[in-house]
Amino acid sequence: MASSRQIELIASAWLARRDGAEWTAHDQLQLDAWLQESTAHRVAYLRLDAAWRQSDRLKALGAGVPAGAVPERGAWGMAPLPESRATPSESGTDGEPSAPARVAAARHLSALSPATRKLPKSRPRRLLRYATAGFALVVLASLAWGWRHYAAVDQASYRTAIGGLQDVPLPDGSVITLSSDSRILVTLSRSERHIDLQQGEAFFKVAKDPGRPFVVSAGDRRAIAVGTRYDVRRDAAELRVIVTQGVVRLESDNGPGGRRRPSTLLPAGSIALASDAGVVVNSGSVQQAEEFLSWRSGFLSFHDTPLASAAAEFNRYNARKIVIGDASIGSLRVGGNFRWSNAETFVRLLELGFPVRAVHGKDVIVLKSR
Amino acid sequence: MDDSLDNWFIREILVHERALMRYLLRSWYRRDEIHDLRQDIYVRVYEAAAKARPAMPKSFMFTTARHLMTDRLRRARVVSIDAVGDLDALNVLIDEVSPERRLSARQELKQLTEAFDRLPDRCREVVWLRRVEELPQKEVALRMGIGEKTVEKQVAKGMRLIAEYFYGGGHTHRSRERAAADAEHGDGHGQQQAD
Repeated sequence: MASSRQIELIASAWLARRDGAEWTAHDQLQLDAWLQESTAHRVAYLRLDAAWRQSDRLKALGAGVPAGAVPERGAWGMAPLPESRATPSESGTDGEPSAPARVAAARHLSALSPATRKLPKSRPRRLLRYATAGFALVVLASLAWGWRHYAAVDQASYRTAIGGLQDVPLPDGSVITLSSDSRILVTLSRSERHIDLQQGEAFFKVAKDPGRPFVVSAGDRRAIAVGTRYDVRRDAAELRVIVTQGVVRLESDNGPGGRRRPSTLLPAGSIALASDAGVVVNSGSVQQAEEFLSWRSGFLSFHDTPLASAAAEFNRYNARKIVIGDASIGSLRVGGNFRWSNAETFVRLLELGFPVRAVHGKDVIVLKSR
Repeated sequence: MDDSLDNWFIREILVHERALMRYLLRSWYRRDEIHDLRQDIYVRVYEAAAKARPAMPKSFMFTTARHLMTDRLRRARVVSIDAVGDLDALNVLIDEVSPERRLSARQELKQLTEAFDRLPDRCREVVWLRRVEELPQKEVALRMGIGEKTVEKQVAKGMRLIAEYFYGGGHTHRSRERAAADAEHGDGHGQQQAD
């Protein structure tokens, strides 16, 4: 019986070989046999494999480092790790996940990523980097074009490109976080703070001002608050309002044929979906509601989410769309936490964990069943 | 071959290696046996989970650890007084196993960076080229002017050390690691409290 250290050495030798280019089916068979031999082999292998896959996240340190140059130890203060100097002297602080850090799929996946995965022989070129440069914020401070009924103090429109995320601070102290591919028109008057959500999604941190209601309108519906935090998202067919603090009133214009539609009060923890059919409110914990808003820190979280919906989420943030090629796989359930800038990784994990194969096109990734 | 079990094991058990190592170091009187002890604990947990997944994986792992240490002590002919004293304390220690606090992605990256920075030079360079620049091993060999076999060896070493530093927090500074790794960097600040 080999010692635990010998087993570790053998396991690492296997993994290193598999990491090379010369891996054959025969090798795989031999490895499988070795893994079957004893649980001790298997746990040693799993441990090293997981650690090696974790090291994938070191890519975050590669941003801005010229190819072929290995930075000095502890040189990370200069490397664009915007959130912290990763030097041993620093104490870790809890904070938002770092912008470039990749999600450790192995740790969070509930349904993906088999441990015995084959490393691709040649990786596709560098995944989409979240490029702040590709992000366009257009501010059109419109000139006073005519007299308005209310004295508009301030009117400006903001928009983000796909993959962009932007905080818009307002003069009243409120902050709007604009999601990818979204557009708003802000009109501040003395009697009202009016935000027209023309497209996409935004999260509102509203400064308290009872005298000036904060109104977010989308089509014929309005979500009104005084001082609170909530998120409004507009899709072709429905409007989604998520409240994480305080109370929001959801109002609608009269429906077709002049039917009055009642307004709905949404307390914190509500997830409301408004469509032509009416408003459905899901009341849960604030924590659950917050989960839907992890996009603000660059993540998407899925819990037992149908693949079709997960793909749609990714598509909000990426120009290269994930297309479900076969209806049969749209209902597969997936889980995990992903950077939304990392659709490629998501797809790769799908291929590993599910009977799915991806066909990479120029601006689409088509998922087909295997 | 049960992938979901493997994933469960990585997700629910391996993430606590740092805490486990601290516990073992505190409780077990022979450091040179800890590597082996850890393996035994993992084997037991994995095999038990293959039959039925424990509801509280972390506690289950610590309980398993305690049982194993107790067994070993019973089997050992010579028992140091320290060890017995420690063993009484084991029950207490388990209760104080710190409450769950998952590291943020940022802290993880930081630890990973520290682990990376502790690799010996050549190994560190190989890991960088392979993992960050994603060059195939062949390419790494060309770039560094070393043989492909050497690259493969360095990759193997790199993953062993990263696992040790990242998961275990590098508690196991021992001569055998030096045999495996021809250099040991860092000042052993792997003792930092991770949870």
